Amino acid sequence: MNENTSLIRLKGVGVRYQTGTEALKDIDLEVKKGEFVFMVGSSGSGKSTFIKTLLGEVKASSGKIAVAGYPLDKMKRKKLPFYRRKLGVVFQEFRLLNDRNIFENVALSQRVIGVSKERMKKNVHAMLEMVGLADKEKAYPMELSGGEQQRVAIARAMVNRPEILLADEPTGNLDPENSWEIMKLLEQMNRLGTTVIVVTHNDDIVNRMKKRVVTVQKGKIVSDRDRGGYGQ
Amino acid sequence: MSTLGYGWKQGLKNIWQNRLFSLAAIGTIATCLFMFGLFYVLISNFRNMVYSAESNVGLTVFFKEGISERQIAFIGEEIKACEDVEEVKYISAEEAWENFKKEMYAEDDEIEDTFGEDNPLANSASYEVYLKDVSNQNGIIHLIEKIEGVRKVNGSSVVANGLSRFNMLVTYVSVTVIVLLLLISVFLIHTAVATGIRVRSNEISIMKYIGATDMFVSLPFVVEGMVIGVIGATIPLVILRMLYERLIAFILSHFSVISRWLTFVPLTEEFRVLIPVSLLVGAGIGFVGSMVSVRKHIRRADA
Repeated sequence: MNENTSLIRLKGVGVRYQTGTEALKDIDLEVKKGEFVFMVGSSGSGKSTFIKTLLGEVKASSGKIAVAGYPLDKMKRKKLPFYRRKLGVVFQEFRLLNDRNIFENVALSQRVIGVSKERMKKNVHAMLEMVGLADKEKAYPMELSGGEQQRVAIARAMVNRPEILLADEPTGNLDPENSWEIMKLLEQMNRLGTTVIVVTHNDDIVNRMKKRVVTVQKGKIVSDRDRGGYGQ
Repeated sequence: MSTLGYGWKQGLKNIWQNRLFSLAAIGTIATCLFMFGLFYVLISNFRNMVYSAESNVGLTVFFKEGISERQIAFIGEEIKACEDVEEVKYISAEEAWENFKKEMYAEDDEIEDTFGEDNPLANSASYEVYLKDVSNQNGIIHLIEKIEGVRKVNGSSVVANGLSRFNMLVTYVSVTVIVLLLLISVFLIHTAVATGIRVRSNEISIMKYIGATDMFVSLPFVVEGMVIGVIGATIPLVILRMLYERLIAFILSHFSVISRWLTFVPLTEEFRVLIPVSLLVGAGIGFVGSMVSVRKHIRRADA
């Protein structure tokens, strides 16, 4: 797959919940391999539904979606785990397992895909080194700061070298300094070849990063600009 | 580490981390399987006693007058050849008269004076026939009546039918109670595991997000359920093992009047069935209970 290939392609995608709410309407979007995309919009604009749709958590009611070669609109449930291995996910609230140390939290991603013990050790060490937490392997999540916990979550999402990293409000619980650190880390992952999609409210970060910005309002894409800014 | 090894290790860790839930689940399974074991022991002993009683309910086959000894022997062979016949015993006319006198005139010395050397039952030589299953008594009677030289067949159908019906009733009641206990056990372990799973729903959803298959997510919970089930099954087995012989000894010593009717199943025979069945049932309800709970949560995590 070369850099001009669409890794994510949505054509006329709509999502209507059982309650009748139309969360996404006629979305057309293409994201190429290696891109860094911000998705911005006010609360209830449909950003979270968009992430859930890419995760295979919500099924599109209309249109076609292809992500990393998987046709999500007609994919069978049993293929979902294998599709999700192509993705890394980072959440606002970190979602680490508090009863397991940092090494175990990151190693879980490797266990799921059946990596051997030796290889897993090597990969987890390397990943923790990359996010700057090599000395905290034995610590537990509650012993770390918010910024450090988000770094662990990024390490867990990235250790299997996914093609796409989805980050849902990754700086929502962090102060500006830590938020910027996390963004630099995501940019570093992007430079290594991973396509990154970040859903955020943080206008300061979006404006400083100068990346592609897709703005969603009332379930529709209202703007899509390269090197854009928040609200432009 | 293989998925299996991880599932096993994580399952045991889950049991320890949720020791209160685990203890509650073990307790409920142990209680249900103790009841199951108790019922099984009661039923098997009761059936054993009914079987011994049935074995003592016999038929009496009388011969036509003037029949030769060779023909009597032939009738005996024909009866023995019947499928449901356990034992055939020849009672001569003399033995029949002696038995009758013993039963009816045990305390009456005058009987000898009245009859002297005469045998009023001179034509009453017979075969006593004992059956494997008294519920087939009427069919066997019809078969024997057709044999050449047979005059009459006396059966005790009231006793036979009564025992047979009572045995059936006990079996139905017992099977119903056992099935109910098993259903209750599955429900209880399902509830216990479900509570443990609810606590770890965050873990399940994280595992699903990072691409874990249903099997990978389920395995620790299934191991947890099955280990709890096997421990829950072992406890009542140990208790029943300790109680069984003591209880028999107690009954035989305190109820000596009825002890001749009480024929108990030996301990080894009882536990040859009870051990594998209890362990399998324990592991089985652990498996079913945890699978039902974890499947529900996996579907929820996917949706």
